[in-house]
Amino acid sequence: MVMPYDWTKSPAAPDVIELHLWPHQSLPPKGFVLFIGVTCVMLTFPLVPLLGSVVLWGILPFMLAAVAGIWAALTRSRRDAQILEVLTLSGDRAHLLRRNPRGDVQEWDCNRYWVRPELHETNGPVPKYVTLSGNGRRVEIGAFLSEDERVSLYDDLVRRLKG
Amino acid sequence: MADAAIHGHEHEDTRGFFTRWFMSTNHKDIGILYLITSAIVGFIAVAFTVYMRLELMEPGVQYMCLEGARMFADASAECTPNGHLWNVLITAHGILMMFFVVIPALFGGFGNYFMPLQIGAPDMAFPRMNNLSYWLYVAGTALAVASVLAPGGNDQMGSGVGWVLYPPLSTNEGGMSMDLAIFAVHVSGASSILGAINMITTFLNMRAPGMTLFKVPLFAWSIFVTSWLILLALPVLAGAITMLLMDRNFGFTFFDPAGGGDPVLYQHILWFFGHPEVYIIILPGFGIISHVIATFSRKPVFGYLPMVWAIIAIGALGFVVWAHHMYTVGMSVNQQAYFMLATMVIAVPTGVKVFSWIATMWGGSIEFKTPMLWAFGFLFLFTVGGVTGIVLSQAAVDRYYHDTYYVVAHFHYVMSLGAVFAIFAGIYFYLPKMSGRMYPEWAGKLHFWAMFIGSNLTFFPQHFLGRQGMPRRYIDYPEAFAYWNWWSSIGAFIAFASFLFFFVVMFYTLTRGARVTENNPWNEYADTLEWTLPSPPPEHTFEQLPKREDWDKQHAH
Repeated sequence: MVMPYDWTKSPAAPDVIELHLWPHQSLPPKGFVLFIGVTCVMLTFPLVPLLGSVVLWGILPFMLAAVAGIWAALTRSRRDAQILEVLTLSGDRAHLLRRNPRGDVQEWDCNRYWVRPELHETNGPVPKYVTLSGNGRRVEIGAFLSEDERVSLYDDLVRRLKG
Repeated sequence: MADAAIHGHEHEDTRGFFTRWFMSTNHKDIGILYLITSAIVGFIAVAFTVYMRLELMEPGVQYMCLEGARMFADASAECTPNGHLWNVLITAHGILMMFFVVIPALFGGFGNYFMPLQIGAPDMAFPRMNNLSYWLYVAGTALAVASVLAPGGNDQMGSGVGWVLYPPLSTNEGGMSMDLAIFAVHVSGASSILGAINMITTFLNMRAPGMTLFKVPLFAWSIFVTSWLILLALPVLAGAITMLLMDRNFGFTFFDPAGGGDPVLYQHILWFFGHPEVYIIILPGFGIISHVIATFSRKPVFGYLPMVWAIIAIGALGFVVWAHHMYTVGMSVNQQAYFMLATMVIAVPTGVKVFSWIATMWGGSIEFKTPMLWAFGFLFLFTVGGVTGIVLSQAAVDRYYHDTYYVVAHFHYVMSLGAVFAIFAGIYFYLPKMSGRMYPEWAGKLHFWAMFIGSNLTFFPQHFLGRQGMPRRYIDYPEAFAYWNWWSSIGAFIAFASFLFFFVVMFYTLTRGARVTENNPWNEYADTLEWTLPSPPPEHTFEQLPKREDWDKQHAH
């Protein structure tokens, strides 16, 4: 299974490593299109016997409202989980950026060699809570990942931050 | 928020009674609210039927008199039959059962409680909208009950037009009772659509990582397909009854031939909603039954993938068969032939499900605990109702059976005995999980046997009555139909007694039933995620994603 986080290196700046993390969403964009498409096709069935009748106009607004409703709900649900955490390691700098669902951004900066990744077995909001400490702050990373993913994320962080 | 939050585990439930139950946004609490409310409304709707069976017990009219409705027959006093009261009762029974009892119990109750748990979601996608759905349902119920008591047609209370609200009956019925009934259906429809949008979003976007569509447990699947049906069918009903309202109150003529309208068109759009509606009622029951049968046969459910496709196929086919409810309105022979064949095709996916359930039991070590008895009862009775459905699907045969008690027997076998048995199977199956207490096994079994005997005795003789030609929706009948009507009424009283006993069992279990300490009081074949949680589950569940090995049981697929 693909982990919902990802280390990337750009060829332009080989000494810069970026870690991207995002929460899992089980509906891919293709699924959204398929669902709305099938819904619209199914909605045409009752309209067939109504073609040419004024009753059509009594039904149609309610159908469109239903499609608009599920469209808005699925979009909203996708938005609500659109969190992106980007950890950039470059030279001696570690930078964590968190883009929240509403678009606001939180940032944290530290000297890479002073960053301490920690794994909290029980005391966090979730078991195996991963945090980074340094520069006078302790910030969370990947709290939305699953438990196994957080463990492997911690191992990854320990390894990468050493080098 | 990116700052770390390190502290002790302090998930204490600090909500007061009012906050917890009246302002609830928690899917488990809302599920329980749905179940309790639908039980109360169910009691009202069942009480109506007992009164009706009392009236039908003997030929002649003894109880529903114009001089005043009586609880005890009094041969010395004069009794003029009050057909309006009768019509109001059948209408209210239909509307309450269709919109305010079965769907809220299965879809609102079990769906809310267990669908998010089975897919490992922390709650519904929109918890506050969930609260709105529930309270709209309560408001709709209040309107429906008010409609029975408000001034209506024939200068009496209530409206007696049948739950299908056909014009011109519904447009000509006097008083405001009819308008209240239409508003009740409107509000409950809005509640169902909001609920369906919530469920669909939760199901599609909040499944645990790795839980692809064809790894989702069958109950969650059935809730998803049900929600989809609601989303497609309810707007049609909303449009139809809005137009009724306009015809009634604002002089429109959508369904009035005098102004160029067409009352048969109303029947088309009503049944375009109405047929999916019966699948909306029964599909969540299919889901519950699958889990119950697998658990008490100690085998994984047979043919998971065909089971899922059968649910989808039943849902899809449900949209293209609506006119089999109205063979007699004057459709062309070709139209009737199409609707007849399409209807018969539904027997295929339904058969896949029934045979898969039997195959699940085949070679299993079957344990007749109460939920399994209900599931057995469901399987047998739903199949009987399905078989009479095949009989009725034939347009030619339907000429004879249309609007007879054969139809009444048929749809009560699939809905009263099918869906309701599934609800009871679900209640006994999940009661230890929801309440943390175990019901007394003997009481559950007594409830089952009384209900099984009572409801069969109620409805099986109605097949005979229908074949003899007794029409439905009448307060009285000729002497010739007296024998089986008497037995049918006896059955209804037995079933009603079992229903009262059920409330006693619930009260006893919730107050002093044995505590359930383990997460899973059944066995390892109850293998969906809700059984990994404590009983009752804490306020917050799956705030962290569930572990894959908790839900991905290879042997199940």
